[in-house]
Amino acid sequence: MSDSGEERDHQPMARQTSSAPSPPPSPSPSASPLPGVSSASTSTSTAPGGQATPEMKRSTVRTLIQRYFHQLQSGCGNEQCTNINCASSGRVAPMTPNEVAARALQLFSQDARLCVNPAQLQPPPQAELEPQPERVAPVAISPHDIDMLSPNESSSSSSSSSSSSNSSTSTITSASTTTTTSAQSQSSPGPTSVSVPGPSPSPIATALPRMEQPELVAPAPAPEPAPAPASSTSTSSSSGECTTENLSEVKSLEASCLISLYEECVKTDSYDKLYQAVGDVFSCVERLSRSFVRTPDTEEEETPAASVPIFLAKPPEPLNKEQLRTLEGEHDKDEDSTQQAGAMEAVAGTDTEAEAVSDVDGDNDDDAGPEDADDEDVPMEPAPKSTSNAQLKDLSLSSDTLVDFEGLRRVQQLLFASKSRTVIDKLTSSVIQLADWIHYMRRYTPDWEKVIHCLVICFDLATNTKNMDYLDRVLPKLCLAASSMSVKAQVRLARIWAAHCADQLHTLVSSCQQQITLQVLLDEEAMRENEHIICVTKVLKIVFYANILASELERPSCRMSLEEQAEIEEDSTEDGVPPEEDLFLYNQVGHPHVPKFAEDQMENMLKVSAIDCRNPLVPLEEFYNEALSENIQMHHDYLSYKSLVMESEVGSSSSNYFSFMLYAFILTPATKVDALYYDSRMRMYSERYSTLYSLINNFGQDGPDAIHRPDLKLTVRRDQLINDALVGLELVAMSNPKDLKKQLVVEFVGEQGIDEGGVSKEFFQLIVEEIFNPAFGMFLQQEETNNMWFNATPFENGAQFTLIGIIIGLAIYNNVILAVNFPMVVYRKLLGYRGTFCDLRDYSPMLYSSLKSLLDFEGENMEDVFDQTFKISYSNVFGEMVEHELVPHGDVVLVGQHNKQLFVDLYADFLLNKNIQQQFNSFRKGFEMVTDESPLKLLFRPEEIEMLVCGSREFDFVELEHSTEYEGGYSYETPIIKDFWKIVHAMPHESKRKLLEFATGSARVPVGGLKCLRLLITRHGPDSDRLPTSHTCFNVLLLPEYSSKVKLEERLLKAINYSKGFGML
Amino acid sequence: MTAPRRLRKELCDLQDNTLKSFRDIKADDENLLRWTGLIVPDNPPYNKGAFRIEINFPAEYPFKPPKINFKTRIYHPNIDEKGQVCLPIISTENWKPATRTEQVVQALIALINDPEPEHPLRAELAEEFLKDRKKFVKNAEDYTKKHSEKRPAD
Repeated sequence: MSDSGEERDHQPMARQTSSAPSPPPSPSPSASPLPGVSSASTSTSTAPGGQATPEMKRSTVRTLIQRYFHQLQSGCGNEQCTNINCASSGRVAPMTPNEVAARALQLFSQDARLCVNPAQLQPPPQAELEPQPERVAPVAISPHDIDMLSPNESSSSSSSSSSSSNSSTSTITSASTTTTTSAQSQSSPGPTSVSVPGPSPSPIATALPRMEQPELVAPAPAPEPAPAPASSTSTSSSSGECTTENLSEVKSLEASCLISLYEECVKTDSYDKLYQAVGDVFSCVERLSRSFVRTPDTEEEETPAASVPIFLAKPPEPLNKEQLRTLEGEHDKDEDSTQQAGAMEAVAGTDTEAEAVSDVDGDNDDDAGPEDADDEDVPMEPAPKSTSNAQLKDLSLSSDTLVDFEGLRRVQQLLFASKSRTVIDKLTSSVIQLADWIHYMRRYTPDWEKVIHCLVICFDLATNTKNMDYLDRVLPKLCLAASSMSVKAQVRLARIWAAHCADQLHTLVSSCQQQITLQVLLDEEAMRENEHIICVTKVLKIVFYANILASELERPSCRMSLEEQAEIEEDSTEDGVPPEEDLFLYNQVGHPHVPKFAEDQMENMLKVSAIDCRNPLVPLEEFYNEALSENIQMHHDYLSYKSLVMESEVGSSSSNYFSFMLYAFILTPATKVDALYYDSRMRMYSERYSTLYSLINNFGQDGPDAIHRPDLKLTVRRDQLINDALVGLELVAMSNPKDLKKQLVVEFVGEQGIDEGGVSKEFFQLIVEEIFNPAFGMFLQQEETNNMWFNATPFENGAQFTLIGIIIGLAIYNNVILAVNFPMVVYRKLLGYRGTFCDLRDYSPMLYSSLKSLLDFEGENMEDVFDQTFKISYSNVFGEMVEHELVPHGDVVLVGQHNKQLFVDLYADFLLNKNIQQQFNSFRKGFEMVTDESPLKLLFRPEEIEMLVCGSREFDFVELEHSTEYEGGYSYETPIIKDFWKIVHAMPHESKRKLLEFATGSARVPVGGLKCLRLLITRHGPDSDRLPTSHTCFNVLLLPEYSSKVKLEERLLKAINYSKGFGML
Repeated sequence: MTAPRRLRKELCDLQDNTLKSFRDIKADDENLLRWTGLIVPDNPPYNKGAFRIEINFPAEYPFKPPKINFKTRIYHPNIDEKGQVCLPIISTENWKPATRTEQVVQALIALINDPEPEHPLRAELAEEFLKDRKKFVKNAEDYTKKHSEKRPAD
């Protein structure tokens, strides 16, 4: 793929770079432990002779403890330091040196946070004194637990590592320390080796050349030549080459190798080799990241040409420049292309001419990073860090992976079908070891690309297997590892899952849910602090986004940017009510949706939102965890959330708090309502408290003004309900909008009764009835759906819409359910999204299907068939036809194949946004006045808000029975009618909904309840085998007089479950 | 008030084409969304008369279907006493914006000529139609004589 010759040329430079002083702990561009053959060989690297290692380990441990000590005593020097264990943060209590030392030891064992200060990034002196600073960090691992390895190997690998040039010593030392401790503390059974891959962002840089220059290794002062052959052949498909000698290390595995190895083992009935191979590879990021790599022939055509060579020991036929250019040219056509330049660069290492070869999938509509092509000409040396960042960023847009899923799944079947229990055990323990290692390495920014490769493999193995025992043991550890990755890496994982493992997401979700449920049941008391639950939740979030990415998304996103919203605000004030006439002065509508700290970084990076996804692959309800939601004790979680809020206000971020409220997808709506309840209670109490306080302070200065009440009191007359409410709330909104957040207390003039909730409930009901009464003219009832929609030509000014907005907000705030029937798009718009074509499905199914069939029309004679111009018409509140041109001079523009999409989009935009913009903005303003500070938007999706406002849709079928009329010989006394109602009342909710839809064409209850439906049941002849039918046009149900109740029930259920409702179909 | 372009064109086409069974097509002077026309069925028992219908187009036409109403009373299992008719082609489930009014009218004429007792709006007529065809035909003929309009001369 990439030009190998060129890479070779650059290789030396890369090395120089890496040997430059003060390498940052973050990936340095050239250091690549990755690929096999030579050098860095990494994987097993043990320190020379097994003697230096303990020594080194000790010294690094010492260094680390000293750093903790130093940090506790003197601080890191950063005045804004937020680390509670750093003196610079001013949060370390004074201690004696002894205490400090003890604390430092403790911190070390807890793996506590170390300040990352530039000064401290310098290699500590001890490390610098190290005679042979290792280049690729592969110092490592405790010889004592390497029981399977011959001393030869240790020395060989060490020798090869010494052959590599030097680099980032500081990282190495600290890294190795961690590893060691982890290995010790874990004492996991029989770990072969733990290796520490160097932080290497650009595997290819070294990978390719090294493959091609095995001779580089040879001259190294290696006393033992062993490692080279083993790994250099590792990717070749011939089994002979892969199955290395019994005792030698297996450095990478391909599916085919493993399969032939397996077959060999079956033949000889000795699984030792397999056992060893699995153990060697799966326990080590280095080796696993070189394994199960897709080879060119298993690749699909479109796959990432650029990154393929990363892991390949034997690279495929390199593309020449021309081919590269062709590729690039193709991609240039779409605007996304350049964004992956950086990725390519990563791949090509220091190849400054790396061409932007992107494999961008359609989803990546992000702007091309500014740091693409230009950066490439910058030599690595001066800014290794920035380039590596750029690279990681660009990779995070990519969904490429080199994992050979096909092979992997074949292997998985073999392994888990294998008779040899020990192999699976080995696999389990190795994967656990690997995961632990990743977790412990998290602070030292390992090469996330490799980690991701490994995790993709491990998760895929885990979700594909039916071996539950394996899954149960491995999954928590994998989650721990995945959750400790950087957000960027998590984003990358989400993209890979979405692109390649969509079929696994369902299993992944349910496995994670099982884990969480299990842990919750085991640990009900401390579940909020349970690390397992937290990390599985974090992984579930990755899965959540992968699920969204894998589903059909609306593009461009229907989220409106804040600027757009501000614009709309301006527009509406310009051509709408002049500001001075607008009684509700309130200018905070442009507020961000959620507090800064709670902004979802993954959402931002992926630039997707659950709302853009109309039809998720895995239903979002499956992300609710009932057990967790039930046991969470929301007030505690709310307190954690509050602490996070406070921390973010103070500006500190070193938070140890975890709040499930930031992972709202896992909470059931009922639990989230709890959170909202605590939030509004807290707010009400704090409002009350502060009013009381100011009341006492100002005692005697002002008269007892209404503003100073500790609650929000409204006094209304029944016959002037709307006006009184309007005036009262206007007064509050003008004087102090914050008062809206106080508890509402309503008093009807001339009536006694203290409002303990009942009176305000009645108030809500009455006011909603009145405002939504079509005769009132603010809202129109849509015939088709029974939904209420804004009157585009209202008689009222914006204030009344603001009032209803406030009412809806207050209802949520005061826990009152309202009988309002809005189409879903209203709730989406309230949350800051714009209505799009998809919303028409709910707004007007008729219009939606008509426009859809217009879109689906494929004939070229569209202009003749439809005769539709860009002028549309609709009827206003008086039933008059109003016309509107979607584009200037729309009456002469015909809709044809080339502009049908535009027509449909403009049509939807007009109906859902533009036509009611002014009314909706007033409405939304009112809603925001009440809810702007609440975590509502953080917690709820639009569907859930609807439920919050309207309650679940309960159907009162008794009411329906009373209002039903009969014809054709039936009456309410006819036996079959009596049976009918008995059956219907016993039906579950879902069947009732279906029956309603069957008979009336709509599952919605009309305003005023089911009694307004006027259902008509007509006798449809004597007993027969015909199914009941219906005329949805007139709410007529045609029921033959069946001979028995049983038959009636059977026929009825069949009809509602299998019919689409229209009788004459 | 102007009618949508499509509707104007459809009206012209229908008026020019002069269908044998659907004549005298006019749009309301005040409301171009309301048309009237005369159905002239071929089959007994309705071939002795003509039936005035009204077609109401929604403002959103052709994205919402028209509605059809009989102004002349008719003895027919699929048309109720108020003149309402349930026609699949213009039901919300089946409506396609590419459907022309002419096709709708053709479907209506077919329904008049050949009642579909399986999906009646007037169940008792449907039963009569199935059980006692003679009686049904007689009733329908009497009813037609009594209520229907005169058939056009040609």
